[in-house]
Amino acid sequence: MLEIKNLHATVGDKEILKGIDLVIRPGEIHALMGTNGAGKSTLSNVLVGHPAYTVTEGSVTFHGKDLLALSPDERSHEGLFLSFQQPVEIPGVSMVNFMRAAVNAKRKYQGLDPMDAGAFLKLMREKRKIVELDNKLTSRSVNEGFSGGEKKRNEIFQMAMLEPSMCILDETDSGLDVDALRIVAEGFNKLRKPETSAIVITHYQRLLDYLKPDVVHVLIDGRIVKTGGPELAAEIEARGFDWIKKEELGQ
Amino acid sequence: MKAVRQYLDFFRSERQRLEAGSLPLLNAQREAAAAALERLQFPSQKVERYKYTDVEAAFAPNYGIELTPQKPADTTEKHSLEPEKHSPATVSPSHPEALSHYATLTDVNADAITALNTMLVQDVTVIYAAPGERKEHPVQITRTLQATAPLMQNRRLLIVAEAGAELTVILTDKAVAGQDFLTTQVTEVFVGEGAHVELYDIEDTQERCHRFHQVFAQVTAGGHLTHGVFTLAGGVSRNQTDIRLTGEGAAVQLLGCAVLGGTQHADNNTLIDHLAPGCTSRELYKYVVDQQATGAFAGRVLVREGAVQTDSVERNANLVCTSQARMWTQPMLEIYADDVKCSHGSTVGQLNDDALFYMRQRGISETEARTLLKQAFASEVLNEIPHEALRQRLHVLVEKRFRSCENCQLCK
Repeated sequence: MLEIKNLHATVGDKEILKGIDLVIRPGEIHALMGTNGAGKSTLSNVLVGHPAYTVTEGSVTFHGKDLLALSPDERSHEGLFLSFQQPVEIPGVSMVNFMRAAVNAKRKYQGLDPMDAGAFLKLMREKRKIVELDNKLTSRSVNEGFSGGEKKRNEIFQMAMLEPSMCILDETDSGLDVDALRIVAEGFNKLRKPETSAIVITHYQRLLDYLKPDVVHVLIDGRIVKTGGPELAAEIEARGFDWIKKEELGQ
Repeated sequence: MKAVRQYLDFFRSERQRLEAGSLPLLNAQREAAAAALERLQFPSQKVERYKYTDVEAAFAPNYGIELTPQKPADTTEKHSLEPEKHSPATVSPSHPEALSHYATLTDVNADAITALNTMLVQDVTVIYAAPGERKEHPVQITRTLQATAPLMQNRRLLIVAEAGAELTVILTDKAVAGQDFLTTQVTEVFVGEGAHVELYDIEDTQERCHRFHQVFAQVTAGGHLTHGVFTLAGGVSRNQTDIRLTGEGAAVQLLGCAVLGGTQHADNNTLIDHLAPGCTSRELYKYVVDQQATGAFAGRVLVREGAVQTDSVERNANLVCTSQARMWTQPMLEIYADDVKCSHGSTVGQLNDDALFYMRQRGISETEARTLLKQAFASEVLNEIPHEALRQRLHVLVEKRFRSCENCQLCK
């Protein structure tokens, strides 16, 4: 489904990704762990086409298409979704107008007619129940005045509305208390279909306890240096990253 | 030759015809106005209040002036905001007590455009509310400029709300495409004690229109005035709004929204003069400046000696969307009294890239995302409009304006 080959990327003139190889099949959940500044968020930003990053080498194929040739909105229509580490507040743009623009843009891409207002509001109601998002929040401006937890829940709500095939959760657990984390993680599990894949970027074991990754990767200095099963995450939680640096990089 | 010459010459040669179709009250002011204009000449851009707009260039072409008296076409305008409602207001000079206010707030010696208007104006539209009278429906005046040759119009409006009266006036300017137009307009507004007036001015014309509108308002004790000026489409627009708060507890709310594209130019110049204690002023102007358009805002708040407990907030916020677009902003605050609460400020910014990218990640195209962000920016000032039906209507008009601007050939 997603195939990354020898991906190099820079921000400004600094090289952050130094050759990433990664294959994710339908239904697989991959955890991406690593030290601060290793390039985890850069990888997610490059995949969704953030204009601040430049790909200098390598390729990414998504559902058989050259992902890097697509605009950010086309990548979204193809089924790629990023749950932002820091969701953006957009004063003056209501959640309803924002979501309707997003859903109808995707429908247009798929050759479907725009959804009528009644059906759209019904869909909003259904989906917001899954992440226990208050009605008051969906009637406000996008993320404006939301708490940290509400913002993350709102990300999962948007995911529910857009039904992506590949989700990138970029530190979705950061800033969440135990209950909020459970609601967000359980929301994600309820929403995902058997063929939905995900890249989960996190520093902690707790989110992975809920999401149960199939594969765990360790990213250090722009490269994936170690790949293992769920037990690797538990080991990192207990021992940190230094032993991996020693073993794999001889540092 | 200076542009002002042709207007003075026109007045001298056509004075008899001009006065024959007009009121003695208007005719009585012409000579002094002509003398003032002769002395003042058109202001150059070295004159502080005119530094952002080239008056000479706007008045230089040879426009025709219609000397036959004009009658209003139809009071139930098709494009009316509330087409099913007839206006109960009197829109004719049938109130002698109202006409006594004519030209009492203006000073032809202080402003050349006002002098020119007073010299050439042919009729005055009077909107009058008697003491305690509450007009349930707004008075809407829609004027459409239509001509087969370049045309100049000089308009005069007198709005009088006596003590305790309530009145809403909506002015809508339109123009047919493909012709050059020049309008001057002088509006005097008297807000009596405890009276409540809302005056809205919507310009939806075209790029070959030049518009110079002056508003002079006086708000007496306990009176309230809302004045909103909305520039949706036009060529060169200069709106000057001078408010005098003369009685204790008087309040004014100034709202402005300019959506500028192509080579449009909009210049709003305001003065709020706090002359009495305990008065309130709120001022919010927002501009979205796209393509090669230019915007200017200069707002002066003057708190005179003795105007204690003044409460004033002035804000101007601007979105400049391209590297060719320009915005000038000049908020000014002068305080000569103690015990006042005043703030003023302005911002100039661009569309938020993070918000833009966030929306694109959710599948919203760049064009649509930009439109939504611009609309969101403008909606802050539209939401302040007290008149609900107009507020909703303007949200729709502004959205339409943003959408057509993204697609129209002119702006590409």
